[in-house]
Amino acid sequence: MSALYLYPRWLRAWHWINALLFLVLMYTGASMHFGEGGWLMPFDLAVTVHNTAGILLTLGWIGFVVGNLTTENGRHYRIHLSGFVDRLIVQGRYYAQGIFRNEPHPFHVSVGMKFNTLQQLSYLGVMFGLMPLLILSGWAFLFSVSLPETLLGLPSVWLVAMAHLTLAYLLVLFLLVHMYIITTGETVTTNLRAMITGWHREDDPSSGQTEEAKS
Amino acid sequence: MNDQVISAGTGGWLALGLLLLSVLPGAMPQAEAAIQGRLGTDNADCLRCHRMETLGYRDPRTGDLVDLHVDGRQFGHSAHGELQCIDCHEGDFGQYPHPESVLGQQLDCVGCHQELHKADKRAYTFKTIEQEFALSIHAVSDSPKAEGFDCHRCHDPHAFRNSEVGQPIAEIVRAGNQLCLSCHKKIRDPHSTAHLWLPKRDKHWQSVRCLDCHTPLTDPGQPVSHQILAAKDSNFDCVSCHSKEARLLGRLYQYRSETDLAGGGWLSKAVFNEAYVVGMSRSPLLDALGLGVIGLTLLVLIAHGWGRYRAYRRLREDRS
Ligand code: HEM
Repeated sequence: MSALYLYPRWLRAWHWINALLFLVLMYTGASMHFGEGGWLMPFDLAVTVHNTAGILLTLGWIGFVVGNLTTENGRHYRIHLSGFVDRLIVQGRYYAQGIFRNEPHPFHVSVGMKFNTLQQLSYLGVMFGLMPLLILSGWAFLFSVSLPETLLGLPSVWLVAMAHLTLAYLLVLFLLVHMYIITTGETVTTNLRAMITGWHREDDPSSGQTEEAKS
Repeated sequence: MNDQVISAGTGGWLALGLLLLSVLPGAMPQAEAAIQGRLGTDNADCLRCHRMETLGYRDPRTGDLVDLHVDGRQFGHSAHGELQCIDCHEGDFGQYPHPESVLGQQLDCVGCHQELHKADKRAYTFKTIEQEFALSIHAVSDSPKAEGFDCHRCHDPHAFRNSEVGQPIAEIVRAGNQLCLSCHKKIRDPHSTAHLWLPKRDKHWQSVRCLDCHTPLTDPGQPVSHQILAAKDSNFDCVSCHSKEARLLGRLYQYRSETDLAGGGWLSKAVFNEAYVVGMSRSPLLDALGLGVIGLTLLVLIAHGWGRYRAYRRLREDRS
């Protein structure tokens, strides 16, 4: 049995608030995008809730960036170039094949690095790529009256709308994959429990996978 | 002020009496005699009588009751609120009874507004309004109800006020539609079949003006036209609003501007902003791609999970 404290309290607080806001944004965003329908929220309410949640999400994101700049958690977001491509291939092959053959996990969680390379890349891409762009396009919506009439010859609000929509779809896609991938730890719930308690524990002897992976 | 015959206190009762008497044929001469004299021509002088809601007379020619009431407060807030009554109602109204010669004047907006300082520098001139109106269904209809249709049917000169930048859109919509509905009462009948084709009919009525669909498209930056269209010629094309250019709606949303967001409360303006039109961010291609990729990914993840489950079962069987 091993236990590592990898998810400090502020990170867990950010993460679950962020996840909750994300769900709210998805629901209210769909309500606005598709207009009212059976299970969707009334339009007016959806607008207000979506705008509010978006502003809170922005504050959360700033908190996440500051947290990673000022605490040790930031090191997990630093890419180690040596053997990078190899690690990527090994990890990809594991998800595509090895996992079905009960092969041991190619990556071992440690205090120095809690993410495997694929995970790290996707978190980096999401938190420092898609999220800021989504947030920016959201704020552009909020202040759309201050935008110029056209940008590059196209109506600027429409451009903002298309960008926001594309980013939103991409992040929903991330969320789907994210929620699935977190079940591929030592056991199905290893990662989930880590994000709730802060402790990464590999201590479930009932799972055969654990035995092998620990070797 | 001093030359008034009627004092402020008794004026109201006198005028009410006058109204009552005036609707009784034959009673007129005595009533007139009672308050003959000079009245003064300040707005306050005029309103002393005309502010009374019951003030009116029966037109001896047509037999119609003519309302002579002016709401002083509403007038003060109207587009003409700065003017003196006698700026428009020219003639010796300081006399009571008002001389025959000044009664029954036909006041015409375009005449006055066209003469105003810089009137022809306006982006939207009264000449244009006149030309547009000449083509309007209100001008060309044979219906007896549209007979003699003039500006005043919609724009009560004692109350009308232009919409202003920064005014809440919902308020502009309500006030605008109220004008139409004050004559087109049948539209409000819950059994009316008008507009039934329109999805979310009531929502539309709350969020856009009748004029937005019932006038032709205008150039960007221009307000709605005064050429009101007949129902059959009106805009039935959803995409005129629910699209990236939203040309019809641009005219309504011109009332929102930077000033709307500037100053205090910008955050609440941002949260409650009304700029989002359903469909503006609609793109069938992006929706199909987005939902398609998400759906496919879901299938792949389910298959992956199932594969993992089978591997796990195999492992357990091997163990046991
Ligand atoms: C209900 C939805 C969600 C669930 C159940 C969930 C679950 C988890 C779990 C169990 C972990 C820990 C495993 C790991 O470190 O890989 C994690 C980490 C993480 N999640 Fe989520 N998540 C959700 C939504 C989101 C959303 C919406 C985002 C971002 C837009 C997000 C971003 C992250 C990031 C950046 C980490 C790594 C944090 C760190 O350790 O520095 N999650 N999530």
